[in-house]
Amino acid sequence: MEGRFAAVARRKTVVTMDPEGRRRFEELTLPHLEALFAFALRMAGDRSAAEDLVQETYLKALRAFASLRDLARTRPWLFQIPSRLAIDRHRAESREVPAGDLEELDRFSLYDLIADEDPFPYSDRLHDDFLGQFRDEEVRNALRALPDAYRAPLLLLYTEGMSYRELAEVLGCPIGTVMSRIHRGRKILERELWQCAQRRGLVKSWQK
Amino acid sequence: MAEVKRLSCEEAVREFFAYLDRALAGDSLDALEAHLETCLDCCDRLDFSRSLDAFAKTRLDASPLPEGVADRIRRAIRG
Repeated sequence: MEGRFAAVARRKTVVTMDPEGRRRFEELTLPHLEALFAFALRMAGDRSAAEDLVQETYLKALRAFASLRDLARTRPWLFQIPSRLAIDRHRAESREVPAGDLEELDRFSLYDLIADEDPFPYSDRLHDDFLGQFRDEEVRNALRALPDAYRAPLLLLYTEGMSYRELAEVLGCPIGTVMSRIHRGRKILERELWQCAQRRGLVKSWQK
Repeated sequence: MAEVKRLSCEEAVREFFAYLDRALAGDSLDALEAHLETCLDCCDRLDFSRSLDAFAKTRLDASPLPEGVADRIRRAIRG
């Protein structure tokens, strides 16, 4: 079934462009399809929604192709579209971190909690051993728990190696906002991992 | 030569992510590096932040393009 991204895209599909323009567009943008799909999947959560998000990305890009001045910047220009679409989509659903929670989040330190709890008393690599306990799926779930406004910059940093300046351009926000989102995104990831460890009984403390 | 600012551990920790992301420069970078030279605890904390990043990156799922997606996109582009 067609999802909401594709439905929106279909309504605006008619793009006036000569065949040579479309060929040029495909030549420049399709090499980035696999990376865009991987990003869309991590943002959208399932394959069907990711496909819709990528299709919407390409149709938006096609409509805006004339505005792409620096062809060397095609890849970040493309990533801007699914990043902003995903963030805008969830802004309506208010998946933001509650303001009252932010101070506590900023103080959260997985490093300290592991040191205090000392789940491997005989280990001389305590923190590495702690991380080694997690299954891949648990780490992915922890990343998925990040609100989109925090997950998008962190994923772009991890997978695209973007600088803060590039992230600010892609996400359309000031560098200071990028820095705080990256910071808090990592803190939420730490907190999710700790809560996962608690649920699995890897650590004993339940109320830290 | 200007004296390098002395950071507390709390101040140093706040700079870690920017340092790891190569967004720290000038006096801020000098101050953090000077702190790290003398504070083993902060070195350990920084190592953990670095490990956590590498840990998360390596566990991102491989997401090869499913069959049919490229064709679907081409069809959409060509209208």
